[in-house]
Amino acid sequence: MKDTLAILHRLSAHPESRCWYVAWHPLGALLASCGGDRAVRIWGKEGDDWVCKCALSDGHQRTVRKVAWSPCGHYLASASFDATTCIWKMTNDDFECLTVLEGHENEVKCVAWASSGHLLATCSRDKSVWIWEVDEEDEYECVSVVNSHTQDVKHVVWHPTQELLASASYDNKVCIYKEEDDDWECRATLEGHTSTVWSLSFDPEGQRLASCSDDRTVKIWKECTSGEDEDSTDGAWKCVCTLSGFHGRTVYDVSWCHLTGALATACGDDGVRVFKEDAAADPRHPAFYLSAHVPKAHNQDVNCVAWHPKEAGLLATCSDNGEIAIWNYQSDA
Amino acid sequence: MASNFSGVLQLTDLDDFITPSQECVKPLKLDNKQGRSVAKIQIEDDGNYFQVNQDGQMHKLEKARITLNDCLACSGCITSAESILISQQSHEELYRVLRQNKVMPSHNIEQKVVVVSLSPQSRASLAARYGLSSSDAARRLTAFFKNLGVHYVFDTGFSRAFSLLESQREFLERFSRKEEDKKSLPMLASACPGWICYAEKTHGDFILPYISTTRSPQQMMGSLVKRFFSMQQALEPQKIYHVTVMPCYDKKLEASRPDFYLRESETREVDCVITSGEVLKMLEEEGVSLNYVNPAPLDTMFNNMCDEELLCHAGSGSGGYLHHVYTHAAKQLFGVEVQEITYKTLRNKDFQEVTLEKDGVVLLRFAATYGFRNIQNLVQKLKRGKSLYHFVEVMACPSGCLNGGGQLKPVADQSNKELLQQVDELYRAERVSAPEGDARVVELYRSWLEGMGEEQAQQLLHTQYHAVEKSTSGLTIKW
Repeated sequence: MKDTLAILHRLSAHPESRCWYVAWHPLGALLASCGGDRAVRIWGKEGDDWVCKCALSDGHQRTVRKVAWSPCGHYLASASFDATTCIWKMTNDDFECLTVLEGHENEVKCVAWASSGHLLATCSRDKSVWIWEVDEEDEYECVSVVNSHTQDVKHVVWHPTQELLASASYDNKVCIYKEEDDDWECRATLEGHTSTVWSLSFDPEGQRLASCSDDRTVKIWKECTSGEDEDSTDGAWKCVCTLSGFHGRTVYDVSWCHLTGALATACGDDGVRVFKEDAAADPRHPAFYLSAHVPKAHNQDVNCVAWHPKEAGLLATCSDNGEIAIWNYQSDA
Repeated sequence: MASNFSGVLQLTDLDDFITPSQECVKPLKLDNKQGRSVAKIQIEDDGNYFQVNQDGQMHKLEKARITLNDCLACSGCITSAESILISQQSHEELYRVLRQNKVMPSHNIEQKVVVVSLSPQSRASLAARYGLSSSDAARRLTAFFKNLGVHYVFDTGFSRAFSLLESQREFLERFSRKEEDKKSLPMLASACPGWICYAEKTHGDFILPYISTTRSPQQMMGSLVKRFFSMQQALEPQKIYHVTVMPCYDKKLEASRPDFYLRESETREVDCVITSGEVLKMLEEEGVSLNYVNPAPLDTMFNNMCDEELLCHAGSGSGGYLHHVYTHAAKQLFGVEVQEITYKTLRNKDFQEVTLEKDGVVLLRFAATYGFRNIQNLVQKLKRGKSLYHFVEVMACPSGCLNGGGQLKPVADQSNKELLQQVDELYRAERVSAPEGDARVVELYRSWLEGMGEEQAQQLLHTQYHAVEKSTSGLTIKW
């Protein structure tokens, strides 16, 4: 491994608590974090240092599990174990809670905006995935509730350009949804993981989806298009690669860099890893190799990895010990 | 594992499929008996538990039992409701009662009078499968049930007239006090048990005042059969076994509500609910095709019929509550005779709106919201004080009752949409009747209900709702 992952900054973001998730603002100047202390914090760079610009601590009654910026960058959504999702509006450097989305029976595990910014998805321990529509007056209405999973739904992610949604669950499956006849329905179920699927990430073009699991593997799935494969139908997804043997424990998060194509993972063995695709491999059978690995990236479980949207190689991670770390990944290849 | 319950109930943890022994969080109510504080509990080989006191005395301990009603009143798992329901309310149970009836005379025990009440949506679903008209399906089902030993076959379209008339009356009463009581409107329809269960468990005291207290057609029939019919036949209510055939599994939950239990005679108004699909299963088990069953005449007592043909009510396939309340209110409140109702589709086909306007002013604003997503938006709008409606026909299933979870599934190469359209056409092919036009309904109001005083009549035609307290248990947390 000639490639390197070097630490740039380490922040105590949610002291004496867990830091569950970090999300870069689409323009890259801000980083949002959330944690077990029920707070959302907004971080920005001042000189060489990352400082907390703002703390949103009055929105939720329980742990905030995920945060997501709208594609336009003016809104932030936070998903909490208090069964609600808050939508925050950013004006200058200030945040105002615009609305609280209620409806899930219990813990909301994830929230994600579609690329258009008009649709929002949430998922919960109540096993359902909800799709919400946002109108011009910032009113949110539920357009669909889909019950395709049989267990806790851990993660939802939208396709980078299309209105296509993917979800990951404790039932070991990944579901892909599309709108059909004024309602949303599950179009494909991806089976292959042997334990909880914790997170998902689309590649830059949206042709492939990476999933990571408690079974210590990362799987790469590809959408089948007719003509390419004789025994496949349109809209079906097929596992084209499994990264196994690299992770010592549960893989909690995976992030596909939309600038470099590098794949980063967050692991329960406290390590952060970056994989690169073997350019020489047959595209129908892609191969990935471990390009960089920091074994003790944090002194507890790593919960999240997030590539910077504008600056290639900049990576944020966060951990059960409440810390955020910012890394620089460099590759010779 | 797919659950049979409507989506709304699935969301309230109804389909966890864990058995009570595994993960029930229901705190059992035990009669605390005074006693010494120290005791030993001993388990015998036969599985019985004995308490051994310090002086060596032993006494048997009672087993904790969890009934369906405990499950329904709990906000914990509830799940086991499914397995309890299957044992208490299934076509197997109907078969058991019919079998017992056959051996009873030789055992010197009194037979039960078995009554089956068929819903209009169920007969349309079965009619579609066998290529029959809805009325023809009803006549053949009457023959089929009577051959099995059933004594009477009724039509919940008949009892629905009471639901519609009471809804109309209740709406006018609520409308008249809308200024002083902010929770009198919108009146939310109450016929759908999936919606009621969700409302009680999830939105409790906030939402319940809006819900119409009018009983559903199934429970109106419960009153008619166990209170009127039993009296007329000089039978004790517990001597009647009352079965309803419904398009919906959630109706089993409704029949099990303590509100519909006759304490003095220890019997439910509806003893057993079976779905349209379960009737198909019975036909298949008997090796009978409805096409080859000779039609039998319909029982005249509780059937909404005219010249041997069954009738239906105007409006939606979910009972037509919006239609009937709207036309009645327009006439009574504003003197407008509504000829035709124009439904405006809003966000999706399951969210429709009807307005009555005069000189550009909206006098009445009604809506039909079906399916969980639309119910969700309705509830949120109400919570934010942004609802403009006077009445909403709320149903848990997308497309309403004709598409209920208990209806027959499409056959090979038939899409659900095609089947639903066919069932809808068969349902609507019956002649429309006005609930106030049924002479027997009018007569029952006069002879039966008016004779007993307002309070008791209210009890027979209306019901109440109970908020379920949320219990949060630390044991259920998963990251």
